[in-house]
Amino acid sequence: MALVKTPKPSFTQKLKRFFMIDLVKGLGLTLKYNLGAITDRDAVAGKGIYTEQYPKVRPEVAPRFHGAPRLNMDPETHDTLCIACNLCAIACPEDCIDVIPMDVEIIVAGKPRRKKVLDEFIFDTSRCMFCALCQEACPTACLELTQEFELATYSRAGFVWNREMLEQGRETVKYTS
Amino acid sequence: MLLLGPINVLNDLLLKTGLSAETVNYFVWPLIQIGIVVTLVALWVAYATYLERKISAFMQARLGPMRVGPWGLLQPIADGLKLLTKEDFIPENADRWIFFFAPYIAVASAFIVFSVIPFGPDWAVIADVNIGLLLVLAVSSVGVLALILAGWSSNSKYALLGGLRSSAQMVSYEVAMGLSLIGALMFARTLSLSGIVGAQGSDSIWYIVYQPAGFLLFLISGIAENNRAPFDLPEAESELVAGFHTEYSGMRWSLFFMAEYAAMVVVSAVATTVYLGGWYFPFVYRLEASGHHNLYVIVSLLVFLVKASIILYVYFWLRWTLPRFRYDQLMDIGWKWLIPSALINIVLSGVAVFVVQALNYSGKVKTIEHLDRGLNMTAAGKGIVFGIGVIGLFATAVLLARINWRSRDFNLRVQRRNIKLVNLPKGKPAVQTES
Repeated sequence: MALVKTPKPSFTQKLKRFFMIDLVKGLGLTLKYNLGAITDRDAVAGKGIYTEQYPKVRPEVAPRFHGAPRLNMDPETHDTLCIACNLCAIACPEDCIDVIPMDVEIIVAGKPRRKKVLDEFIFDTSRCMFCALCQEACPTACLELTQEFELATYSRAGFVWNREMLEQGRETVKYTS
Repeated sequence: MLLLGPINVLNDLLLKTGLSAETVNYFVWPLIQIGIVVTLVALWVAYATYLERKISAFMQARLGPMRVGPWGLLQPIADGLKLLTKEDFIPENADRWIFFFAPYIAVASAFIVFSVIPFGPDWAVIADVNIGLLLVLAVSSVGVLALILAGWSSNSKYALLGGLRSSAQMVSYEVAMGLSLIGALMFARTLSLSGIVGAQGSDSIWYIVYQPAGFLLFLISGIAENNRAPFDLPEAESELVAGFHTEYSGMRWSLFFMAEYAAMVVVSAVATTVYLGGWYFPFVYRLEASGHHNLYVIVSLLVFLVKASIILYVYFWLRWTLPRFRYDQLMDIGWKWLIPSALINIVLSGVAVFVVQALNYSGKVKTIEHLDRGLNMTAAGKGIVFGIGVIGLFATAVLLARINWRSRDFNLRVQRRNIKLVNLPKGKPAVQTES
């Protein structure tokens, strides 16, 4: 009484085993990839090299990828587009945005008026989940999640971005060639 | 003729310094040769590691080392510098002196063999010893001793298991390795490695044609002797951490690493010499005849390097294709397949030589041309030996497959098929016991 019944090998299977066809097949596969890596470098035919030379060659992210936040500025006057309406902070499910407004005195039609403008903008990228609800909420298309993906820093404090960082972008070393 | 110049000029300079011709020939020149060979072999070994990484990467659709120098070409040097500056750690209660010396034994045994390897004709061989092949076998097996000593002296269970496996592996493979070479020696009629190459050259044939079984056996047992995958049981990463060199670090570890690659180069060089015609290449003698002696030597050297590198590539190729053998499978291959087939190969080679001689001396067919440098045969003789070699390869395989059918006893699938349930009432399924 056998526990497991395995079928006896057929004659062709025995022949295959005798001539070690599986070994030859395996060797052929590795050789195919080796030759593919030399001749078809960019995996056009599907057997070249898949590795990306990351710092030198940067990957193309998906078009709907959300990355580092940015505060857009008026391209002509270089003033911020933010009107300190606080809608983004309300929209944020993670509460990671702090909009700090301030009042400035301006003269409108000869009369002194007070206007609310942006003083400081705090964006905690360590808590951000890149849902881009803030980007949707922004009425002036000021806050935007760009496609930058290099957000790593040396400390937790580095994850908290202030207005200057949001406007200028963080400085990262860019490797070329 | 320019290539001829420098060496003769140097020879004259050495003679002018007051040294006798004998000192120059038997002391100064060998020293120069040893210096060049050690440097070049060390370089070759270093770049073998680079090639191993590159080829393994290519086989896995990766790039391998790319950052140090163009195409990562300086990677071996960077690795060497890193290892030199690392801490040389000795475990507590280790057998200090054996632990110190084991790596040196490994490296020395691998490098000494290069003294008799004929890299080329004339000045490209350090010592043409008339028992060269015997020396190669004797010295290269000492390398296994280093692994055993390293495993034993480390005072670590993984290292000990690695050393244990290494010794068991040596017992099962060294015999087959020695026996597999004997067939080729019957045709070469000499143990000198240069003589073997010369015999193949004057017969204008590679002995792989006469000895396909011998070549396969030598390659398999060579891979096993070098502890390379699929026979890398002594340093099985997935089972024994790093096997016999678990406790080694820094430069001592890198000596083991170097010894492994040097031993690979040795085996591929010996396989090239005995079975692939060494530095011999068709038309290579024409260069000699046309008077370009040094060019002839250099071309022969390059031919040798290319042949040995192809066998090295086979090493890498097999490593990145095949998974590791189980321990019992390894013993199985060694004792049930390699040693019997090596013995059968010797008998068949003897029969082939006998048939060729009998035909020749009976006067019916002229099969032997002359016996000056090895056994030089006519086309008829070559055909007979080739036929016996190829038919013998398959006949041996069929015969051993018939004899070894019981070796599947080690196959778990078959074992499972044959397990009998004892004292179990019929009609009731087996119940899992609580443990």
